Amino acid sequence: MRRLGSRLGSILESDPRKNPNAVVFLLLALGAIAFPIGVQIVTRGSGSFLISQAADAGVYVLLAIGLNVVVGFAGLLDLGYAAFFAIGAYTYAFVASDHMEFTPIHQAIHIPFWIALLVGMFAAATAGAILGAPTLRLRGDYLAIVTLGFGEIVPRLFRNAATWTSGVNGISALDTPALPIWINGPWSGDAFAVVQNFKIIDPLAYYVIMAILVAISVVLVNNLRRSRMGRAWMAVREDEVAAAAMGVNTVGVKLLAFGIGAAFSGFAGTFYGAKLSLVSPENFGFTVSITILIMVVLGGMGNIPGVIVGALLIYYVIFNILPGLPQQAADFANSIGATGLNTPSGDWPGLSGEVQRLKFLIFGLILVLTMLLRPQGLLPSRQRAEELQKGVHEDTVIEDLNAETT
Amino acid sequence: MVGSLKQARVAFVEAPIGRLVNLLVILAVLYVIFILATKILAQGPSYFLQILTYGVANGAIYALVALGYTMVYGIIELINFAHGDLFTLGGFISLFLLPIFGADASKAGTAGIILPLIAVFLVTMLICGAINVSIERVAYRPLRRAPRLAPLITAVGMSFVLEGLMFLWKGPFNLPYPNLLPTTGIAIGGATIGLKDIFVIALAAILMVVLALFVSRSTLGKAMRATAQDQDATELMGIDINRTIAATFFIGAVLAGAGGTIFGLYYNTLVFDLGFSAGLFAFTAAVFGGIGNIQGAALGGLLIGLITAMWDGYMESTWTQVIIFAILILVLVFRPTGLLGMRVPEK
Amino acid sequence: MQRRWYTAGAIIAGLAMVATACTGGTGGGGGTTKGEIIVASDQPTSGGDASDGIPAQNGIQFAVEQAGSIKGFKLTFKGWDDTVNGNHDPQKGAQNIQEMIADAKILGMVGPNNSNVARAMIPIANRASFVMISAANTNECLTQTFPYCEADTGTTPAKLRPNGVNNYFRIAAADTFQGPAAADYAVDTLKATKVAVWSDNETFGKGVADKFSTELQKKGGTVVVRQDFDTKTTNDWKPFLTDAKNKGAQAIYAGATSGTKICIPRAQMKGILDVPYMVPDGGVNAQCIKDAAESAANMYGTVAAADANQNPDAKATIDAFKARFTKKEDVGSYTFPAYDCAKILIDAIGRAIDANGGNLPSREQVRKAVSETKNFKGTTGTYTFDPNGDPTSPTMAIFQTKGSPLDWVFVKQFGVGG
Repeated sequence: MRRLGSRLGSILESDPRKNPNAVVFLLLALGAIAFPIGVQIVTRGSGSFLISQAADAGVYVLLAIGLNVVVGFAGLLDLGYAAFFAIGAYTYAFVASDHMEFTPIHQAIHIPFWIALLVGMFAAATAGAILGAPTLRLRGDYLAIVTLGFGEIVPRLFRNAATWTSGVNGISALDTPALPIWINGPWSGDAFAVVQNFKIIDPLAYYVIMAILVAISVVLVNNLRRSRMGRAWMAVREDEVAAAAMGVNTVGVKLLAFGIGAAFSGFAGTFYGAKLSLVSPENFGFTVSITILIMVVLGGMGNIPGVIVGALLIYYVIFNILPGLPQQAADFANSIGATGLNTPSGDWPGLSGEVQRLKFLIFGLILVLTMLLRPQGLLPSRQRAEELQKGVHEDTVIEDLNAETT
Repeated sequence: MVGSLKQARVAFVEAPIGRLVNLLVILAVLYVIFILATKILAQGPSYFLQILTYGVANGAIYALVALGYTMVYGIIELINFAHGDLFTLGGFISLFLLPIFGADASKAGTAGIILPLIAVFLVTMLICGAINVSIERVAYRPLRRAPRLAPLITAVGMSFVLEGLMFLWKGPFNLPYPNLLPTTGIAIGGATIGLKDIFVIALAAILMVVLALFVSRSTLGKAMRATAQDQDATELMGIDINRTIAATFFIGAVLAGAGGTIFGLYYNTLVFDLGFSAGLFAFTAAVFGGIGNIQGAALGGLLIGLITAMWDGYMESTWTQVIIFAILILVLVFRPTGLLGMRVPEK
Repeated sequence: MQRRWYTAGAIIAGLAMVATACTGGTGGGGGTTKGEIIVASDQPTSGGDASDGIPAQNGIQFAVEQAGSIKGFKLTFKGWDDTVNGNHDPQKGAQNIQEMIADAKILGMVGPNNSNVARAMIPIANRASFVMISAANTNECLTQTFPYCEADTGTTPAKLRPNGVNNYFRIAAADTFQGPAAADYAVDTLKATKVAVWSDNETFGKGVADKFSTELQKKGGTVVVRQDFDTKTTNDWKPFLTDAKNKGAQAIYAGATSGTKICIPRAQMKGILDVPYMVPDGGVNAQCIKDAAESAANMYGTVAAADANQNPDAKATIDAFKARFTKKEDVGSYTFPAYDCAKILIDAIGRAIDANGGNLPSREQVRKAVSETKNFKGTTGTYTFDPNGDPTSPTMAIFQTKGSPLDWVFVKQFGVGG
C-alpha cells in the first residue's frame, strides 16, 4: 500500500514528457471516478444504462490487459483467448447457481462472488497451463493455430457435455454478487440497510466493482512488467535463442505469461457471468478472441494504458456507435434526398441494413491497417514500437531493456 | 532458433511423461476406431459405401483448399488465414456468375449446362487468383521482413475483411445455390454413387494432378521450390522472388475458387462465414499431411473428409468439429511435420 | 494507508450519493401529457430469423402507434434486436433486457421470439419485476414444471424466477401441444408412420422434436433416425438423409428455426429421398421457402397461435396494418399474435395507471395487471392467463407450402388444452 501511495505521488510530480503513461493512467483513473457522476448529471438520472455498459466495457478492459501479457509482453499470439474467458464464466456458473443440482452431483453450490473470482481465475490459469505446457515449445505461428483450435474446442465441449452444462441452452439465473457492507446503500438500488451480503442489481454497484478490479489488475500487471519476469518476457519475445543462452528458462517464462493471461481471462469471465447472470456456449467464439486481439493491437501491444484505451475505444465503437449507425445512415440518406438508398431491392437490404453489416469489415480493416500503417498501435510502448518498426530480424533492441525498466 | 525448439520438443516427447501421453493418445485413437468399426458392421455395407462416397467427395474439396495453405506456408511460412474466406468468396462469385453465363436451373442436369459451367469455373478461378495476388501485394508483401506476429495478425485481419465484404454483399443468410448437376447416380450394392459425387472427386483430382505436374515440371514451379528452400540464394540466381510468391498466391486462390464453386454445386448452400470452419478443416488437413507438402495436403484432405463423414454418419455430428480440432492440436504437438513430413527444410 | 483508502471510498460513495440525489427531482409534470411510457420489444430482426422477427416487431410497433397514448401518457415503441451473426443469441437477449430495465420509462416488453433467449431473459427481468409477454415462445419448460425439464433444459420455471413471482406470460401454445399436433398430422393426414427426426439441439428445437417423437410413438409410429446437429457449422445433412432413406422414412421432422438452418436439409433431400418435410413454427416463414429452394413444395408446418385471417372481426385491423406496412414480407404468422401481446400489455398499463391513481405505475403494478388479464379479445383469440403465465385456451394452426409462387397456406386450426 505504501508503495502504491508513493507511486501515486510520484506520478503527480513526474514530468509528463518523461512519463506519458503516468498521465494516461491519471486521466483514466479520474475518468473512472467522474464517469458515473457525469453521466447521471448529463442524462438527468436515466444514465444507468450507460453505467451498466461501462461495467461491461470493464470486462473487455480486463481481457485486454490479460491478453496484453501474452501477446504484448511475451510475444505469443493467442487466438483462442475467449476459451479461458468461457472457462472462468462457466466456473462461476458451476459454483454460484442452482445449476449443479441438475447435474449428476445433485447439489447446488453457492460460493460467494469474491471467492468465486479466485476460483474462476485459478480454473482458467490451470487450463492455460495444461494447454501451454506441451504447446509452448512450438514455434509462434503453430502456437497461434493450437490456441485457435483450443478456442474452438472449449465452447463446443461446454455445448456438447449437456449433462454438466445444459448444453446449448447455457446456464441462467446465476447468483448476483453480494457486497461487503461498506458499498451497500441507496446507490446499490435499495434503501440503506445494515445487512451483510446484500444482493445488488444496480449497474452502479457493478461499475464500482469493475473499477476496483481493473485498478487492482493494472497495478499487478504493471509490477509484473517491471519485474525480473517482465524483463525475461521481453527477452524471449525479442530473441528466444539469445534469451535461452542468457539462462532464461524460455518455456517456463512463456508458460507463466500464458497462465497469467489465462488467469485474467478467467477473472473477467467470472465477473461477466455474474453480471449477465447467464452463460451460454455461443458467447465465447472466435469473434470474441479477435475483438480482444483488436483492442490490444490497436491500443498498442505491450503498453498497459494503450490497451486500456484500445479496449474502451473498440468497445465504444462496437456497442455504442455501430448499433445506432444504421438508423443515422438511413436518416442521413433521407435528409439529403437519397431515399432510394433506403429501399431494399435484391441483395441491397436498404442503407440501414447494409450499415448494420459493417462490423466484420471494420474489424478486419482495423487489424490490417494497424499492422500496415502503425504496427505499434495508438499508444505504443516505446520499446515495442522500435521492435515493430525495425523488425527483430535485422536489429535487436536488447540494449533498450535497461532504459525501459529503470 | 527453430532447431533448439525442435530439440526441446523431441526431449519432451521422449521424456517418460511424454511417452505416457503418447501411449494414451494411441490408445484413445484405437478405442475410437474400435467403436467406429462396430457401428460400421452393425449398419451394413451399403450405408458404409454411401458414407465413404460422401467422405471422399468431402475430402476432395478440403484437399483443394488445403493445397493453397500448404503452398503459401511452404514458400513464405505464413499461415494465410484469409485463404478459407477466399474459398467462400469463390462460391459467392460463381453464384453471381451462374445466371450471367446462362447456367440456370432449367438446364440442370442436361448437357447444355456443361459449357456455361466451364466458363463459370474459369472466370471464378481467375477472379479469385487476381484478388489473392492483390491481397498479397497490399497486405503481406510490405510485412515480409517484419516480425512474424505482424503478417499473422494481418492475415487474420484480411480474413475478416473478406468475410465482411461477403457479409455486406449477401448478409448473414444461408444462400441457396442452384442444384445444377444431375441428381442421378449409379447403384452399387444398395448405395448410390451420385454423378454429383463422381464429378466432384474427378474435378478435384484433375486439378491436383495438373498442379503437381506444374510444380514439378515448369520453370515457375521450380522457382517456387527454390524460393521455398532459400529465398536469398534464389534471388541471387536471378529469379524474381516477388513474382514467384505472387504466382504461388495466384495458384492457391485458383484452387480455392474452384473449391468454393464445387462446394456450392455439391451442397447447394453457402454462407458468408463458411470459410472459417471450412478453412480450419482444410488447414488441419494441410498440417495432417505435412505442411509445405503438396501430396501431403491431398492425403490430409482426403483423411479429414473421411473422418468428418464417418463421424457425421456413425457418431454424433455435434462432436465432429471437436474431433477435427483435437487432431489439429495433437498433430501439431506430437508430429508437427505431419504424416508425410515437410518438404521444406526448417529455416 | 489503510485509512486513506477508506477515506477515498467514502468520498466516492458520497459523490455517487449526490449524483443520485440530484437526479431524483427530475421527471413528472410537463406539457399536455403526463409523461412518456415506452413499450419495448425484443425480436430477431436481422439474420435468418428476421423473416419471423420483423413481422412480429411490426405487429408490436403497429399496436403502439395505433394506441398513441394511454391515460394521459404518451406511448412510444422501442425495438431491440437479439441477433448476433445471423442467429438469435441468448447473451444478446440478456444484454437487451438489462438495457430495457435500465430505462425507467420502459414498463414492459413484448418478446422474445426464441425460447432459449426467453430462458436467458426471464431471470434478469424477474429480479426487476419487469413483465414480458411473448407471442412465439413455445418451450413448455419456460412456464410449466415437468420432471424432464431439469435434465433437458437445465432449469425449472421456479429457478428462472428468483423473485418467486411470475413475470413472464405468453399467448402461444406450448410445445406439449405443438410437437404432438405435428405428429398427429403426420400419422392421420400424411399417413407417415416412419419418420426421421433431427434438431438443432436448442431449448426449442430439441424440445419440440422430443415431443413430436413421443406422440408419434404413442400413435404407433416409429422414429427411424434421430440426430441433433450443431447447425452453426454443419452444412452436410446427406449422411442423415441417406440413413433416413435406408430406414424407410416416410417423412422428415425438423426441430429448428430459420436461424438454425431448418430448411437447408430440405434442399439437400433432392436426389436422395422425396417425402414430406415437417417443421414447427420456427420454419413457417419466407426464409425457409428460400432455403429449401427447388424442393420447397410438400412442406408442412405448425404455428402455435391462431391465424388472424380466419377471424372476421380482425379484418379491419389487418387492413389497417397492411396500409401501414405495405410489403409482403412485413407480415408473418406471428405478426398478429405479437400485436395482441402488445395490446394486452398496453391494456394492463392502463389498468395499472388507474390503480396508481392516474400516476406512472411501478413495474410491479404493471406485472400484476398483466397477470390479471381476463378474456382479452385480440385478433387471434380471447386470452386469459393461468397462474403459470400460459394462455388458458391456446390454438394450434397447420400450414402447408402451396401455390405459385410457393407460400405457406393455411390448412386448419384447432383449440388445444383448456
